[in-house]
Amino acid sequence: MSSKNDILGNIRQHITDRYEMPDIDIEGIQYPDKIAQFIEISKAVGGDAIILNDDEDINKVIRSLYADAKVIASNLPDITIATVNPDNTADPHELNGIDLAIIEGEVGVAENGCVWVPQNVKEKVIYFISEYLVIVIDKKDVVNNMHEAYDKLTFNDYGFGVFISGPSKTADIEQSLVVGAHGAKGVTVILK
Amino acid sequence: MSTKHTKAADRFIANKEQETWHNETLWMVREKRDRMAMAIPEWEHLRELAAKVKMHTITHLDQYLEKFVSNAESNGVIIHWAKDAKEHNEIVYGILSENNAKKLVKSKSMLTEECHLNPYLINRGIDVVESDLGERILQLMNEPPSHIVMPAIHLKRQEVGKLFEDKLHTEKNNSDPTYLTRAARQHLRNEFLTADASMTGANFGVAETGDVIVCTNEGNADMGTSLPKVHIVSMGIEKIIPDLKALSVYIRLLARSATGQPVTTYTSHFRKPRKGCGMHIILVDNGRSEILGNKEHIQTLKCIRCGACMNTCPVYRRSGGYSYTYFIPGPIGINLGMLKSPEEYADNVSACSLCYSCNNVCPVKIDLADQIYRWRQNLDSFHKADKMKKMMSWGMKFLFMHPALYKTGLKFAPVVNHLPRFMLYNGLNDWGKGRELPRFAGESFTEMWKKGKVQTKNK
Amino acid sequence: MKVGLFIPCYVNAIYPEVGVASYKLLDYLGVDVDYPIDQTCCGQPMANAGFEDKAIPLAKQFEELFGKYDYIVAPSASCAAFVKENYPRLLQKEQHFCRTSGKIYDLCEFLHDILKVDKLPGNFPHKVSVHNSCHGVRELHLSSASELNIPRYSKVRDLLSLIEGVVVLEPQKVDECCGFGGMFSIEEPSVSVCMGQDKVRNHMATGAEYITGADSSCLMHMQGVVSREKLPVKFIHVIQILAAGL
Repeated sequence: MSSKNDILGNIRQHITDRYEMPDIDIEGIQYPDKIAQFIEISKAVGGDAIILNDDEDINKVIRSLYADAKVIASNLPDITIATVNPDNTADPHELNGIDLAIIEGEVGVAENGCVWVPQNVKEKVIYFISEYLVIVIDKKDVVNNMHEAYDKLTFNDYGFGVFISGPSKTADIEQSLVVGAHGAKGVTVILK
Repeated sequence: MSTKHTKAADRFIANKEQETWHNETLWMVREKRDRMAMAIPEWEHLRELAAKVKMHTITHLDQYLEKFVSNAESNGVIIHWAKDAKEHNEIVYGILSENNAKKLVKSKSMLTEECHLNPYLINRGIDVVESDLGERILQLMNEPPSHIVMPAIHLKRQEVGKLFEDKLHTEKNNSDPTYLTRAARQHLRNEFLTADASMTGANFGVAETGDVIVCTNEGNADMGTSLPKVHIVSMGIEKIIPDLKALSVYIRLLARSATGQPVTTYTSHFRKPRKGCGMHIILVDNGRSEILGNKEHIQTLKCIRCGACMNTCPVYRRSGGYSYTYFIPGPIGINLGMLKSPEEYADNVSACSLCYSCNNVCPVKIDLADQIYRWRQNLDSFHKADKMKKMMSWGMKFLFMHPALYKTGLKFAPVVNHLPRFMLYNGLNDWGKGRELPRFAGESFTEMWKKGKVQTKNK
Repeated sequence: MKVGLFIPCYVNAIYPEVGVASYKLLDYLGVDVDYPIDQTCCGQPMANAGFEDKAIPLAKQFEELFGKYDYIVAPSASCAAFVKENYPRLLQKEQHFCRTSGKIYDLCEFLHDILKVDKLPGNFPHKVSVHNSCHGVRELHLSSASELNIPRYSKVRDLLSLIEGVVVLEPQKVDECCGFGGMFSIEEPSVSVCMGQDKVRNHMATGAEYITGADSSCLMHMQGVVSREKLPVKFIHVIQILAAGL
């Protein structure tokens, strides 16, 4: 308690001029074709993004992209190829060893290939621990830029959300880019 | 006249291969930043907004902190307040003890570096594991970071290869970055799975919602915080921003400025603890509240720790992070070091040619170069001004205040041109280390003017 | 209009031909130019070294000598920038209102913005690499800083394009610092020389015969490197090129 008061007291004591909050009146970059831009940037950041046509079966499409995946985790009702429902696990540690996780996103962002994923699984580790990740979003939920994204996104009761843009990566060794650090080694966003 | 930075830079530059590689590699990151900036038409507007929002927030910091805390606490997060580094470390240890946590997995936090947290915990029997690849490499080498975003930028792959051979039992003589990174993935995956607690820094704290924002490319912060039952956040009080609308501005600027990517792979928003788990935020002051009252240097509190100033700094690129005596190098490091202790860190103030490039790349428009200039003016008051510089400045002032003396000086200056080389080029002549002295003109402009040689009329 | 010509200390002593070219050019353009004979230095060397208070008496002297002119012009971006950016603050310390900072110009700036020169005689059939000095770019805005997302422009290029035969080139890292920095050059000689060497190499890589710029201080530093390493490139101030036909 006393450190709190000391710190707040110190702050109040030292502030002299108070500056106004500016109007964040910024529209942000607009793209003539948001979906095309989203797909282009997804590839540029080391991931991929594809459009699911109306006559295509999402399960068949994912299977063909990740033919070698044996342990597939998903809690999405439409995904029949899942071998594990991660929500049935008591301990997040047990989710190690998942080849492919299929999850749902809420907003796609054209300027940087981000997908906003408000946690809607019991254990969020599933977003990071699998070797590969498929994120499913609705085409109509792709926006131009982060201002529009933050305007639109929501949180669930879990109280966690993450923007994911492509696979995990690092350039810490000699600035040589390596795709696949601790999170997914590859990401495909499916726009349905 | 030379400072600790001068001497360390001498050594760094003597290894020409290392200096060239370091210089060119960091310049490439600056170029990537440029490409990103030029692709966003509203880039300069974003910088202006980011600067203004930070100035507003820090000058209302008491209100925003209270709002942040109130929201975080309603979300079930436990808030701690640390006046200084010592208190911060004690609180961390307290949380770990309470939870019987023996292994702590950490993602990158310069604040914990500032507080010297790792040695404190290690001395008390805690197994501290850095999970950011660059930081883990340095931890295994027992060395500090040399850049705030690319901590191992000074290392070559062969050095990492040798290290991993020794510590991770990788193949002999294999220094392929992909191979080494995969080895680190496996090694650290095991650490994540066996950790009792996790720790992150905070890129931003959102007052309106109580969210802590952590931006990474590797996914280490998220792996770490998704498995153990305790998550500790170390956050400097200046990291607060008002709301998510403002956050959008910073997320667009941060990675573009830091690494030249449009965004980091993961931008995580921690709002509530995981079910059945604990989340703690330690709000750290450690001198920040005092800076609020320092008109000349308050702008350092806007810093979002992107490192763009280092990447553009021609001096940092050619001297490396280890040539600075403060743990944060480059333009922001010179200023932060002086704010921490002018007596201890005055040596870094020489590491600047006042080119102002840093001002132009800073996403929050900190007047970095102007502040370094101001620190130079104040060195004398800390008794840290170089005596030679002081004498030369006094000498120049004297000369320039006496026009007659100055003109006489101009007349006789050409004599220097004819002095024997050994007199001009020796240990005392710092200019001569790599350059020839300029030749004084036979006749100065003043003399030519007096003799009417300048004012020839054009017909 | 009456113009006071300010010839910086090192131009006076080392590159007086730049001063001569400056006068000739202004005279040719019909400007009434005066050279107050008692001028010395603007005070920048001391200030950058950390002793700006020692520049205050120089500032007062400068005000006395130059206060009465409509414009003050100097063939040195860094000196003009120093006066412009710092004199008001320095003189304020002695409750003196600064008259000169609002009307001092680097000569290139003056030719481009005030006189709006659009024609010059002369021929300079050489390849030149433009050195965009830090104070010129980032304080006086003689050209667009490479870091900023703003429309690209260069007043120096515009002026050089008026002279027949000149091939204007620019180096990679177009406005990276040359490493002079005043006292920096002798307080951090290794870094300073390294920066100078890199800059000279970048200029030479354009294929230029001459390195040119608005600041003799930068040119002097790079010349020092070139002379030591005996490199085949020459130096000339922009004003000398512009005055080539006079």
